[in-house]
Amino acid sequence: MGADTAGRGVIRRAVAGQRRDVAVGSLLGACHQTGEALVPVLIGLIVDRAVVRPDGGALAIWLVVLAVVYTLLSYGFRFGARAGERAAEQAAHQLRLDVLRRVLAPHGGAEAGRPPGALVNVATEDARRVGAVNMALTLGIAAVVGVVAGAVLLLRASLPLGLLVLVGAPVLMALGHFLARPLEHRSEAEQEQAAHASGVAADLVAGVRVLKGLRAERAAVDRYRATSQASREANVRAARAAALQTGLMLTLTGSFIALVALVGGRLVLSGSIGLGALVSAVGLALFLPGPIGMLAWVGAELAKGRASAARIADVLAAPGETAGGTAEPAAPAPGELRLNGLGHAGLDGLDLTVRPGEHLGIVVTDPADAQSLLHCLARRRDPERGSVELDGVPLTELAPAALRSTLLVAEHDAQLFDGTLLENVTAAAPAGADPGPAMDAAAVDEVASALAGGTGGRIGERGSSLSGGQRQRVALARALAADRSVLVVHDPTTAVDAATEARIAAGIRRARTGRTTVLVTSSPALLAATDRVVLVDGGTITAEAPHEDLVRDHPVYRTAVLT
Amino acid sequence: MTTPSHPADEAAELLPIATPARTRAALRALIRPDRGLALTGVGVLVAATAVGLLVQPLLGRIVDIVADGRPAGDLTLPVVLLVAVAAVQGVTTTIGLTRIARLGETVLARLRERFVERALDLPADRLERAGAGDLTARVTGDVARVAEAVRSALPEMARSVLAILLTLGALALLDVRFLLAALLAVPVQLLTARWYVARALTLYADQRVANGAQQQQLLETIGGAVTVRGHRLEEQHTERGAGRSRKAVELTMRSVHLVLGFYGRLHIAEYIGLAAVLIAGFWLVRDGAVSIGTATAAALYFHSLFGPVNAALVLLDDAQSAAAGLARLVGVTDLARPGTGKAGPAGGARPSPVPPQRTGPRREASRAAVAVDAVSHAYGPGRPVLHEVSLTLRPGEHVALVGTSGAGKSTLARIVVGVQQPTAGTVTAPGDPEDPSVVLVTQEVHVFTGALAEDLRLARPDATEADLRRALSTVHALDWAEALPDGLDTVVGEGGHRLDPARAQQLALARLVLADPALAVLDEATAEAGSAGARVLERSAEAALAGRTALIVAHRLTQAVAADRVVVLEAGRVVESGPHEELRDADGPYAALWRAWSGSRTAPHP
Repeated sequence: MGADTAGRGVIRRAVAGQRRDVAVGSLLGACHQTGEALVPVLIGLIVDRAVVRPDGGALAIWLVVLAVVYTLLSYGFRFGARAGERAAEQAAHQLRLDVLRRVLAPHGGAEAGRPPGALVNVATEDARRVGAVNMALTLGIAAVVGVVAGAVLLLRASLPLGLLVLVGAPVLMALGHFLARPLEHRSEAEQEQAAHASGVAADLVAGVRVLKGLRAERAAVDRYRATSQASREANVRAARAAALQTGLMLTLTGSFIALVALVGGRLVLSGSIGLGALVSAVGLALFLPGPIGMLAWVGAELAKGRASAARIADVLAAPGETAGGTAEPAAPAPGELRLNGLGHAGLDGLDLTVRPGEHLGIVVTDPADAQSLLHCLARRRDPERGSVELDGVPLTELAPAALRSTLLVAEHDAQLFDGTLLENVTAAAPAGADPGPAMDAAAVDEVASALAGGTGGRIGERGSSLSGGQRQRVALARALAADRSVLVVHDPTTAVDAATEARIAAGIRRARTGRTTVLVTSSPALLAATDRVVLVDGGTITAEAPHEDLVRDHPVYRTAVLT
Repeated sequence: MTTPSHPADEAAELLPIATPARTRAALRALIRPDRGLALTGVGVLVAATAVGLLVQPLLGRIVDIVADGRPAGDLTLPVVLLVAVAAVQGVTTTIGLTRIARLGETVLARLRERFVERALDLPADRLERAGAGDLTARVTGDVARVAEAVRSALPEMARSVLAILLTLGALALLDVRFLLAALLAVPVQLLTARWYVARALTLYADQRVANGAQQQQLLETIGGAVTVRGHRLEEQHTERGAGRSRKAVELTMRSVHLVLGFYGRLHIAEYIGLAAVLIAGFWLVRDGAVSIGTATAAALYFHSLFGPVNAALVLLDDAQSAAAGLARLVGVTDLARPGTGKAGPAGGARPSPVPPQRTGPRREASRAAVAVDAVSHAYGPGRPVLHEVSLTLRPGEHVALVGTSGAGKSTLARIVVGVQQPTAGTVTAPGDPEDPSVVLVTQEVHVFTGALAEDLRLARPDATEADLRRALSTVHALDWAEALPDGLDTVVGEGGHRLDPARAQQLALARLVLADPALAVLDEATAEAGSAGARVLERSAEAALAGRTALIVAHRLTQAVAADRVVVLEAGRVVESGPHEELRDADGPYAALWRAWSGSRTAPHP
């Protein structure tokens, strides 16, 4: 219920933000609908006044009236729909940015339980649907005016005939809707299944290299054929349902027209209405299903908009991963990092001080423990027990964004972004800083020379035109170029060859001279270049010494890094 | 360590696009098996439309009866006929639309199946040259566009065109002068359609590109939200997202503008035609050439044309963009198939200036599971990667291939498997030369969307549940697989349960176990996991390779330690070969690599 209320709030804001365009769209849309209703009436009038007893003067006058009506309806439609669409698009744009800002907010948390694809859907499809409520509103208001205009025209011509059409048209629509409902329901479910099939094809093509390596092309084609045929059958059934609905509406509308003609004809013969009124009534009977159908469509759009708004509200109100903390770290930060009895998930009472400027290696035997430690250091989680302090201030007191301007945790799976190689390296760097040393340290020069366009070459979406090892090097260069007081890197070279890795180990040391640097890794080459290594085994610190000593003396350490 | 990158100056060589003539021929060929369905479908729809055209004359008849002041009883017949027309029209329309839909869906299914089959059959190097993006765009965007046209545009277009043609015919039957009056609207409509289509195609293409760019930007930013926050890139990425969104909004508004302008012009055509028909009615009634009822029917006919004309014209651009999509699909389905029509591995024999790549077992290789003989390869002139590499693997032998990035390790691996054709030299692999018993697992992991069990069955379609469990257990993946929400039936991959890279790679190794090849080639299959994850994967890989001949491209030298033999590749040449201990103690390139990797001057002996 809460989400529903919040969802209504989202819709209210989306409409209120565009109220001018919505108002203009509704007004002009109403002009259009009224004009559309007048056209069949005018045809009837022209037949009645100018054709039955041919009168050229009357014909000319009525054709001018028809021209005026056409001009009004045409311009009303054109500018009304434009205002409505603008309101829809602008509102969707605003919502899209709201969702994006919430996802990127320093406390995070919006991603919990929502894969990226789902969040992107909220930012695009759901935002679009809520925006479309604006368009639906303008069309809905216009349709109501159209129906009312038709009603007034009919009732003026003939009360009984008018009542027949006014009562009959909605009943007809409702009947059609009622009869088609089970069909619609079924076809929706089937179309969902059909949509799944197109995803399967894209998925197989995306994995074509894996299929080739496996020599499973045949099996994949057979599977796709089965999916495709199932989809074909579902679509044929859905199409049959839609065809049945179309046929049904044709029959119902046709019978209704016959009824109107019968009643109208008798009324003319009994002398209570003119011939023109009959023609008008028939024309209006043909016209009215339009705006009435529009109202049904508007109702469906509003329902979709409500569901989407609830999803958007849900994302906007998602709780953060951490809460509180407003202090800023000292600037410039000396860079002392201290763990005081840190306990979180598998970690149990870690006590550790990283001195300012120290290069420390941390080997964690359980990958999950390494993840917990990194989460606490980046303040993606607040520790369950104990604390992490930066220069004597607990991280829980620091604003996450301010903390990350001082302390960077470069995660193993850090992502690159579409753009040039150089743009990626300098993304987090202070303005005007020279990226050369960082690129040299991370051996990105080799990446640049292999890339079309060198450092100015585009690396593709998520760095897709680079290999895994190249991506790691660029991500490392970005972390080094960011030039934070404290840098924590996690497994930066797992896909890099041994010779290059050794070069990078020396490079990190050089680039970070005098600045606190923590390497969470089990790469012997990187660990050999640190001042000191801490071994975290079973969630606690079990050894602490330089790499060479630990390799020589500590069997658990040797197993962890050399096998 | 990578799949080969494209040379700097060579744009991706896109897959072909069929010519309009070729597309039409392919379309005819696709429809041919269902000619009967097409003919009856169109026939029934023609009947439905024709019957529908009786409505206006019947209404005209009623007007005449009323105008002449005849008895009310005379109204009964035309009214009953109107109801009968409505019933017949409803039934025939249902049947016709259903037939047309069945035809469309069947042809569409045939087309997309043929496309996927041909796409998966493309030789690996052809795929590399085209880039995966082109193929993916065709299988998603173009298939969807053609499908959309088949589902909504085709039936609507068919009905509208029939309605227009038959209505014009009916106008002529009333009096040919009504037809001439109505045709006054046509020049305006034709000009409007030309004006619209010329602009719509490029605009909609731009709009699709902008929407795609926005989608991609959002996916990248949101997927990398942790990185964005961690590196303080929030402002940058919000700005980027806003920019893409604004661009998409702007293009949408431009196309809205265009469509509305289009309708505005059509309103003018409507008015001209309607006024002309009314004036014609006025003259003809005055001259006594037609009755008032006929004039009314003519006006109603013309009024009833508005809907179909607008629908048909606005569908023109759907039809055009579907035709463009169709040409891109046919471009691929038309590609000559490699080999003799048998869909098989990319290494299948095919006519080419290259010497035959796969030979049957030869005498000197008879004791080897794999014999690589003087294989050279170059990605284009002046870009040699391998120089006369020769290498034999004994049955069951595990050989680790090491060397720096760019040494040619991955290229050699791909040539051994047969997904890449060497420029010169031969490879003998186990099994039928046409279909060797070889599997390649690379660091590129892909989890196929669907149940986990179905993903595994790609490797062996007839595998039983027990086989799957055994394979998962072999690679130490059964525990987590059974712990998934629905066990082996859990939907994984895009949109399903997400597997981390290490698990995805274990899945790849389980597929290898199920495929059960005599030779397995692993190309850095453990690289994407973190270092602790890599150890787990190496254990999985070892178990998966037990009892097979294996070539392992390795960067973590622990894999070299575990192998029977290490082969060092440098700049496309084999420079060292031998067991780990031997090479480590020799003062060669491998010893240098080992020292660098283990991070110590005095290499510790594990």
